[in-house]
Amino acid sequence: MIDAESLTRKFGGLTAVENLTLHVNKGEVFGFLGPNGAGKTTTVRMLCCLIGKTSGQAHIGDYSVDKEEDRLNIRKIVGLLPENVGLYENLSAFRNLDFFGKLYEVPEQQRQENIERLLRILGIWDRRDDLVGTFSKGTKQKIAIARALIHDPQVLFLDEPTANLDPEASKTVRDFILDLKKEKRTIFLNTHNLDEAERLCDRIAILKTKLVAVDSPKNLEQSLYNRKTIVHLESINDAVLTATKRLDHVKNVRVSENKLILDMDTPEKDNPEVIRAIVKAGGNIQYVTELRSTLEDVYLKLIREASAQ
Amino acid sequence: MRFWKSWIVTQKDLSIIRKNKYVFYSLIALPLLFGIILPLLNIFTLNDEITALPRAQFMVVANQTVNELIALPVLIAVVLPSIIASYSFVGEKIEKSLEPLLATPTTDSELLLGKSLASFLPCIGATYLAGGIFAAVLDGWSYIKLGVVFIPNPYWALYMFVIAPLAGLLGVEANIIVSSKVNDVRSAQQLGALVCLPIIILVTLPSAQYSNLIAILLSTALAAADIALFYLSKKTFGREEILTNWK
Repeated sequence: MIDAESLTRKFGGLTAVENLTLHVNKGEVFGFLGPNGAGKTTTVRMLCCLIGKTSGQAHIGDYSVDKEEDRLNIRKIVGLLPENVGLYENLSAFRNLDFFGKLYEVPEQQRQENIERLLRILGIWDRRDDLVGTFSKGTKQKIAIARALIHDPQVLFLDEPTANLDPEASKTVRDFILDLKKEKRTIFLNTHNLDEAERLCDRIAILKTKLVAVDSPKNLEQSLYNRKTIVHLESINDAVLTATKRLDHVKNVRVSENKLILDMDTPEKDNPEVIRAIVKAGGNIQYVTELRSTLEDVYLKLIREASAQ
Repeated sequence: MRFWKSWIVTQKDLSIIRKNKYVFYSLIALPLLFGIILPLLNIFTLNDEITALPRAQFMVVANQTVNELIALPVLIAVVLPSIIASYSFVGEKIEKSLEPLLATPTTDSELLLGKSLASFLPCIGATYLAGGIFAAVLDGWSYIKLGVVFIPNPYWALYMFVIAPLAGLLGVEANIIVSSKVNDVRSAQQLGALVCLPIIILVTLPSAQYSNLIAILLSTALAAADIALFYLSKKTFGREEILTNWK
């Protein structure tokens, strides 16, 4: 649904995005992570045809960002939630959405239905005639999301959708994004929030001017180091240690106090055998846990490596 | 260019402008000042020696005075854009609403036209309101004093229907360019007023030596300046320019 090939944008002597190649599938929630100034917003702006590119190519659906006649079509099938909500404070929630619905060429009847449906889902229908200036940050963010969806776009670009929101409002927005995911919309999510990216995204790209990595959250987490199984025992004796070391699928065994830390590729498959071996060797297991690298560990490592280059 | 798209933007801007008390009071105060107070002050301060002149001579002086004042209502078309356009353009910058607006399937020209019309229409409306009051007041005075009316005349028509729209358009275009360089409404208004000064001088200059030829020359100069500033403001109001270079 979204294709970019060697997409590059320079501002004078500064390269904001360099040789970005990525493919986002239809119906996928694609996370875009990176530090401030990594080029995330510039990429979104290029893909939404708000700014031009210096070189490379990009397509949204069947339309090319290069062609003047395609740009209006791209804007018709794309919904954008920018970093700043950018609502008209002196207009009501309804009037804000109605205005954008008209610009997106949504027919009158459908526009009214869409506004009502979106405001009801987001719990603002009763306050539809209140001026936006009277709403809290969270409510404004919800209205901005409704604005991005007013024309039922196929592709949704969300730039920091939960930034500056309290936990409750963040959860409402996240749940709403999950609902949109169920509707099989393609969602491009720019975020600093790693937890949010992990929960919502099918795949994640890490950007630091250049594309550093792209994969599913699970694969990214596993890429840093092998998953580890930690077995807490009453005490560890030589028999238990020897029994675990003998197992083929256990790559490494470490002892820390009364814990055995075991490196394995497929713990889901191999843990039962490990536990049986420990019990057979006379070990008294208290509990078994898993140690895995987090997305934050991976992100920080990759960004540090990219910065060092 | 789809005019209906521009009109959607115009309607939205007008409804925001309508709610702005400062703009609303300006729309009332300026026609009062330039349409009634200043002309009346000029007419009623004609000294006794002049009013005591023989009718033929007094007619000449009165006609000259009326024509000298014709530029006054037109000043509204020049001054008001610095107030309205500053809200229309800088207001969008302050509310950071330009990005979602630019993300819609609307061309730069349609957006620019829509926003320009939202600044231009109230200005020209207020100018015609002031011009109408001005004509009624002066004609009322001249009819009572001399039994004749001086307005409408070709010089007045040129000022009202050619110079006023051209000057108003120039004010709007100048303020679009000003808006791209500043970040708050007050700065936009101050800088806008400064930019308007040469236009004010240009519009009021011929009133001392009023003639249809001078009015036509002035119209030509304004039209040329309008075209030049149109291209400059169009270049200023481009998606790329707004998102990357507007302060």
